[in-house]
Amino acid sequence: MARLVIALSAAVATLAVPPLAAQTAKPPASSIPRTADGKPDLSGVWVGGGFALLFGEAELEAMRKYDEAMGRKPLPAPEPPPYKPEAEAKRQQYLARRGIDDPMARCLLSGVPRITVRPLPFEIIQQPHRVVILYEVHHAFRFIPTDGRPHPDDMEPSYLGDSIGHWDGDTLVVDVTGFNTNTWLAGVGTIHSEKLRVTERYTRDTRDTIIYEATMEDPEVFTKPWKQYATLRLKPGERIREYECIENNEDLQRFEKLLQTEFKK
Amino acid sequence: MRTVFALLCGVLAGTASVAGHHSFAAEYDGDKPVTVSGTVAKIDWMNPHIYFYVDVKDDKGGVTQWKFEGYPPNMLVRQGWKRDVSMKVGDKVTVFGWRARVNPTQAASRNVTFADGHKLNSGPPAGTGGQ
Repeated sequence: MARLVIALSAAVATLAVPPLAAQTAKPPASSIPRTADGKPDLSGVWVGGGFALLFGEAELEAMRKYDEAMGRKPLPAPEPPPYKPEAEAKRQQYLARRGIDDPMARCLLSGVPRITVRPLPFEIIQQPHRVVILYEVHHAFRFIPTDGRPHPDDMEPSYLGDSIGHWDGDTLVVDVTGFNTNTWLAGVGTIHSEKLRVTERYTRDTRDTIIYEATMEDPEVFTKPWKQYATLRLKPGERIREYECIENNEDLQRFEKLLQTEFKK
Repeated sequence: MRTVFALLCGVLAGTASVAGHHSFAAEYDGDKPVTVSGTVAKIDWMNPHIYFYVDVKDDKGGVTQWKFEGYPPNMLVRQGWKRDVSMKVGDKVTVFGWRARVNPTQAASRNVTFADGHKLNSGPPAGTGGQ
């Protein structure tokens, strides 16, 4: 945890410093691929987190230079989840147990927005009437209609909820609701209720990047909406592969040992 | 490096999921790095993590078997690994990683150096996962 805190502090410190090339002009809009109907084309294989796992140091350096050349500005600094006291107390309990209660460690499907920043790539397939996202992790998929239809009236609470999208100018806005409570939102202990509603905004700001913004609203656990950001990066030449989490998951038996020793009450 | 990584990830990743399917800190101690040299005894090329076992000889002729965790196959391939080719039973290796909290001869591997000196990343950096 200390290392994470150090890394986060370093990140925040860096984010506060404007990039050297902040003065350079943004690329013309034409550099962003567009579909026949004029919308930004989000299609491609993207990565939203864990870049040090998926990219080599040379690629990471190239990304940094690309961001400078494109005049990309740092994303807003992270804020802690605005939990009500009871929910925050629960989160602290989960943190104290170092994440052994993570649904993800049991190979359960991650929800939104967490699935976006898992280190495995996902492919966006954009069609005129819908956007499809195929996630390598969990073999998960989302169909996001953009034809104006409402959420179905027979929703059953689910891990990924139900998504409907619309275009706000050049930004794809996705309204996600109908969640179960088996997922964490964005980090250890980030619990929520079935009243969770997530609004995602996907803005392809350059050829190689999407600014991803997720606003989480949940009157049961939050005192106000919680907003989080990430940069999604195009990974040309990449393809979605297979990842079957449950195959040989030894974590649970090892967690049992921890429960019998370190966390024994 | 961590700073660059965090910046590139954006902010959500800074507080959110960074790596594999479980929290690194749950099982491993990022403050206890370990380097082990020995002979590969067994490789479980499986999801959600590869496990490989390394026999380490001590000065008195005894052998201790270490168990190392690493990336799943889909990530190993992206790091340049090839099943049955990159690492084989009998290979002499030096593994760098971080010790497990429970089992004294288990670790989360970060990289493997082979007899000819080439090195491959085999697992995520310490402190990642599940956050």
